[in-house]
Amino acid sequence: MQASPLDLAQVLKEEGYLIDEESATTLFLSLTLEKPCLIEGPAGVGKTQLALALARAEKRKLIRLQCYEGLDLNKALYDWNYAKQLLRLQLAKTEEWDEIKVDLFSEEFLLTRPLLESILSPEPVLLLIDELDKSDEEFESFLLELLAEQQITIPELGTIVSKTLPIVILTSNNTRDFSDALRRRCIHIYLTYPTLEREISILSSQAPELSDRLTKDVCEFVARVRKLPIQKLPSVSETIDFARALNALQKETINYGELMGTLSVLLKYPKDIAKLEERLKKWETEAQHRH
Amino acid sequence: MDGWNFIRLVHALRQVSVSISSQDILEAQVCLDRFPDLSEKQILKSLFIHHPQDSLMFETIWRILLENPKSSVLNHSKDGAKDALLEENQDSSGTGGQGVGRGSGGVSLTAKGNILDFSHITNLIPFTRLEELTCNGLEFEEIVQINLAEMDYYTWINSYDLAYQRSELSEEDWYTHQNNRTTLMREIKQQVFTAQVSHENSWEPLARQHWLFKPLSTLTDEEKGLVKSSIRKLARKLAMRPGSRWKISPRGSIDISRIISQSIQWDGILFRLSYRQRIPRAPELVVLCDVSNSMAAFVEFLIYIVMCLRARFRKIRVFFFIDSVWDVSDFVWDDDLGVVKQEIKSWGRMASSGFTDYGVVFRELAENQLRDLSSRATLVILGDGKNNFRPAQPEYLAQISSRVRNVFWLNPLDSQEWNEPDNMIKEYQKYCSKVYRCRSASDFQRVVKDVF
Repeated sequence: MQASPLDLAQVLKEEGYLIDEESATTLFLSLTLEKPCLIEGPAGVGKTQLALALARAEKRKLIRLQCYEGLDLNKALYDWNYAKQLLRLQLAKTEEWDEIKVDLFSEEFLLTRPLLESILSPEPVLLLIDELDKSDEEFESFLLELLAEQQITIPELGTIVSKTLPIVILTSNNTRDFSDALRRRCIHIYLTYPTLEREISILSSQAPELSDRLTKDVCEFVARVRKLPIQKLPSVSETIDFARALNALQKETINYGELMGTLSVLLKYPKDIAKLEERLKKWETEAQHRH
Repeated sequence: MDGWNFIRLVHALRQVSVSISSQDILEAQVCLDRFPDLSEKQILKSLFIHHPQDSLMFETIWRILLENPKSSVLNHSKDGAKDALLEENQDSSGTGGQGVGRGSGGVSLTAKGNILDFSHITNLIPFTRLEELTCNGLEFEEIVQINLAEMDYYTWINSYDLAYQRSELSEEDWYTHQNNRTTLMREIKQQVFTAQVSHENSWEPLARQHWLFKPLSTLTDEEKGLVKSSIRKLARKLAMRPGSRWKISPRGSIDISRIISQSIQWDGILFRLSYRQRIPRAPELVVLCDVSNSMAAFVEFLIYIVMCLRARFRKIRVFFFIDSVWDVSDFVWDDDLGVVKQEIKSWGRMASSGFTDYGVVFRELAENQLRDLSSRATLVILGDGKNNFRPAQPEYLAQISSRVRNVFWLNPLDSQEWNEPDNMIKEYQKYCSKVYRCRSASDFQRVVKDVF
């Protein structure tokens, strides 16, 4: 547990994640208050990476629940091992009553899924509920008890309270809005694309083999591309890939005329690439004017 | 931060429908106490703001309450504040120079050319003029518009637009200009809020500008997105009510009776598990949507509502109408509203005079479509009821109403406007199960809660 947001930012930096001051403060507060942290923002700004880095920094085991449409209680929380229960019943035909007086709904027949696992775990864990917005709305309400009280109630067994208080991180791409009940129980971080300076330092820490000149050029170029009205803006990871691609092609600087063919690393829709290529021509003439 | 300011902040936020629980307050106090080194604003923002879209509201209120020394809002020393204001404004016209001739210290954006200093943007805005307009009882949007016009804002942006189109302006400069535009706009809105809040001595003006309560026709793009996402959520809720019938499915709850009956095949040994799920009840919906010009501002949302409903309901029929009915149930819908709007325009020009005639529409519906509707259907009419002085012919709506389960009318006009002479809603009202005012997202939420 760190003593201040700056310390937190520092340990995250050692784990290779650069966080801005505002988010660091918010994350710090959520850790202090032992409340779940909901990280929102567009795809590829490092929401999941933040959770992973935090797990490493706090030396906690990571338990990850990837959400998808149709995810339900039985896959996320717990399930009864019906097959095992049936086997037990089959066996029961040959036994005396005293011997078969086994409770079919005991922990023996319980299958733990990620959420229950994080509650039962004897060592401190970090529970990452990834892309919660992909799950169904009903699923949210299952989570409320876990988020607010750090406990889970199984009707047949009773309430299981967590001993080690997992850190809970939820991420979302905003494909749908959450209920107020869920939002109220969380502390929010909204991550956006990094500023130019921060992206330069991210890029130089992630890809130290690049020259300073290329790093700066790439980040400036990407910042410019993000201002265009395109369908999917380039994410940080795409910036890194793009810079590495240029480096592999032995480029030292960005020259607007020579980028054709490398753009598909940066943008993922043909429509977007066409739009950017058109802009590139304009930028090229502009650049020539200036010289 | 002293307790008084803290309470005022919480009160203000609650007034503009940011929900703050007592637990939030407790936690905020704990954090303020434990971490005196952290910025108070940062702590409170992290703990109070649960929706990203509320953070702008937080900034506005924070500025009005705690960073605005010149207007001591909701304090009783209003006169003192005014004096300070006057001084401030004289300062600004002094530095601005050009603005003096405009009566109240306004600064013309065009006169200053390209050397606008956006770091002192507050000085560009004539606060006394804003107060004057506020006292005249003008609406928020009106004040903003008037103020922009007086600052030559439109000439200013036009000149930049032109320069950019002629490529006299480099792309970098264009983006800087765009940013300046947004900053200026935000600043003006902030100032108008400040003026209005201090004038009315309540947070009401801010609450009115919340996206939930704003009329749909005045929303910005961002707010439109919010409204759409709330509509999407509601449409989903409508379609997802579980019915009373079950079906076999690979997941769901255990189907005991089926397991037992199957086990008979294998001499009573349980061999395979069966699950079942409830079948969602699919309501039958018939939507009638007025797409004439008087509805233009609302049509976008109506179409969006219709699109969401269509995506969720199996049995839905959609009709657009002006003075004749157009069955668009089988029309392929793109996500792009522009295409749909274009279609409507070309259809409107071809098939109608452009003036709504509800009487004819209801007759057409009663004569041609009524036999296809089941008695369990719900008819939803989206329209303003303005009939352009044509005969109402309510008997046809009566006929339709007797054949379907419910008729709901969603009207984007305020109920006072329903009494206007060309408005026929009074005539039709008695054949509807209910008529709702539906001009903002919160209205729509209420309708959904009520009706379905």
